[in-house]
Amino acid sequence: MTLASFVIKNALRNRRRALLTVISVAVSCGLLVTLLTLERELTIPPESEAASLRIIARNKVSLAQPLPAKQLAVIDKIPGVVAVSPFTFFGGNFREETVTSFAQFAVDPARFKGLMVEGRIAEGSYDDFVADRTSCFVGADTMKRYGLKIGDRMRFSGTFYPVDPDLKIAAVFQGTVDDRGVFFHHKLLDELMGNPGTVGTWYMRVASAETSNDVIARVNAAFANTSAEVRAETERAFQMGFISMLGNVKLLIGSVSTVVVFTLMLVTVSTMSMAVRERFRELAVLKALGFRRRELFSFILAESFGLALAGGMLGIFGAWAIWTGIDLQKLTKGFLLYFEVTPRIMATGGVVAALLGIVASISPSIAMARISVVQGLKTLD
Amino acid sequence: MALPLKYNFRNVIVRWRSTVSTILGIALVVAVFVLLRGLARGIERTNGNTGDPRNIIVVRKGSQAESGSLVSREQFRTVQFLKGIARNEAGEPVVSAELVMIVSAPRRGAPGEANTLLRGVTPRGMELRPQVTLVEGRWFKPGHREVVVARRLASRFDGFEIGGTFKAGAERLNVVGHFDGTGSAFDSEAWMDADECRAIFDRDMYSSLLFRPADPAAMSELIGRIESDKRLSLRAEREVDYYAKQTMTAVPIKYLAGFLGIAMSIGAVFAAMNTMYASVASRTREIGTLRVLGFSRRSIVASFLIEGSFLAMIGGVLGSSLAWFVYVYVVLRGINFGTLDFQSFAETVFQFRVTPDLMILGVAFSAAIGFAGSLLPALRASRLPVIAALKSL
Repeated sequence: MTLASFVIKNALRNRRRALLTVISVAVSCGLLVTLLTLERELTIPPESEAASLRIIARNKVSLAQPLPAKQLAVIDKIPGVVAVSPFTFFGGNFREETVTSFAQFAVDPARFKGLMVEGRIAEGSYDDFVADRTSCFVGADTMKRYGLKIGDRMRFSGTFYPVDPDLKIAAVFQGTVDDRGVFFHHKLLDELMGNPGTVGTWYMRVASAETSNDVIARVNAAFANTSAEVRAETERAFQMGFISMLGNVKLLIGSVSTVVVFTLMLVTVSTMSMAVRERFRELAVLKALGFRRRELFSFILAESFGLALAGGMLGIFGAWAIWTGIDLQKLTKGFLLYFEVTPRIMATGGVVAALLGIVASISPSIAMARISVVQGLKTLD
Repeated sequence: MALPLKYNFRNVIVRWRSTVSTILGIALVVAVFVLLRGLARGIERTNGNTGDPRNIIVVRKGSQAESGSLVSREQFRTVQFLKGIARNEAGEPVVSAELVMIVSAPRRGAPGEANTLLRGVTPRGMELRPQVTLVEGRWFKPGHREVVVARRLASRFDGFEIGGTFKAGAERLNVVGHFDGTGSAFDSEAWMDADECRAIFDRDMYSSLLFRPADPAAMSELIGRIESDKRLSLRAEREVDYYAKQTMTAVPIKYLAGFLGIAMSIGAVFAAMNTMYASVASRTREIGTLRVLGFSRRSIVASFLIEGSFLAMIGGVLGSSLAWFVYVYVVLRGINFGTLDFQSFAETVFQFRVTPDLMILGVAFSAAIGFAGSLLPALRASRLPVIAALKSL
């Protein structure tokens, strides 16, 4: 009998306990991975290379405050700005829905083309979108979700704007970080609203990431001390601003994760010490036979490590399979978008499981080392 | 005949080493569950505690929050002269046309900005909201660039202390007082004079109307009249109902509590099972003896179920108490929680609440974990063959 088979036999001797331990570690590890993924989802906005080249300028008061449309002429002349378009969040509810399940933006189609660099046209033609003032440009995910096709109509009831545009799908895009949005003509919105002469934000692109800081400063300076001061920032900084508003949520998830890890530890430690205590007599026999302490330690460590790791793997890959397999976007009505279990998170889970195995073997090992052979042989438990 | 409870109680104490870790594990699970439910409860309570049951609020049809609602002056005039609206001593209808703006202000003690709600309010609007009282400083003077902010908000934003200023539009507003909204949604707002607010933001439209019917019986009739008027396209609702419905923000936290509760309880059930199985295994001879003495299988099942549930409930009581201590600590330190309100897009300030019913729920939850975890071990104990059990070491 080799040492390895001895350890395995020992671990599986009480199959029920081994199974229960593995499952409880698996559940906890799966939970930990899920929480880490949730934290990542809530705190790190989707990143794309193009996002660092884009700048969003909003009213300094707040995002809800509009900007005068006449600012366009000034922005156009700012050196470094390659393309600029009005970008107004419409926030309408699709058909009979009562929540805004995806975003709609009013843009200037001819100008907007120069801003969407990472996406590609999946269906229809962009020219059709530019030509027809009542048409819209829709993300592939939204098309799929509602089973729409080119030429279908999309009706929205506005929640921020008291108008209900009815749009014809002219083209479909794919390959951006968020393939859900709907874009339509700002002219249409202006018309419906009675030409208020305002836009929500300005969306612009710079030639290279190095120049973006200069451009931001120039845009801010251009409207300083006017009746509508702006705050320009990169798309990424803009998204981070939203996340910072989530407040203590990050702290909340962080503390819950800590508690989960701690609970996990308690469970495994208790099981391991149970397994060892049950075997005190045997370990005493091994001691009497001349096995050294070090060898006995490694028996315990190997068993505990093996069980923890088996549970950890099961939990981590289980969580990965679940979150990759189910359509969370649909389930949460767009609240959770990616929920990607990254290799980094999985590795974190693995490290926690491994540490757990090591920590769990400490207290039984000490108990074993302390006990004398005679005492151990006497134990009945 | 049932086994005396003392037997279970002593067993739990004798095997303290393995029971302690099980109890602690369950305690943590229960504490997390109760705290998360407490957070969701806090947000719900804030909205449920807002408004006066005698008031009616009017917003634009289809808007999700007051900040996104627009009410024109014509609409205001039409509503103002509807029959059945209460009048004050001067004979004016008690209608407050208000403006709710989102302003981003720098956070206190942290980088970045967050949105906050600025409400332009009229004297009548203040009469209609008796739950808001001034606690420090003075009210704003009409026609001045002055604001009174909620006391709870003051700790979260820079420049919200009395004498401080913050920027709104091209103007700076002076903070002249703090009010207390008695834990309502108004605790996340800053108030200023309605006309001054419209001037600063150059806004022609109002956001919402608030009024009180002269006769409580006329309430539903007035609501019906506004709702059914196609030209108005306004939504009228009792103020309390309107705020009670603004609970979207609590939903994700509730889901999180539910998900974590279920997932962590599965882990806890397995831990309890492990402990109970070990407990049964080490008491094989004892169980055999009990059977020989004439205790029925059923009473042995019952005994182990009681033991498991008892064990778990100790954990439940511990966990609930832990949650309650956290709550007391938070209240004593005056810590407020803030998160983004998904409807108004502004920060909402709330205090989480651990109430006795949540604590009882936590203990019940732990009892369920204990019961589920000890069911299989208990059945196993009852099925042990008597002779073999007696012979075992």
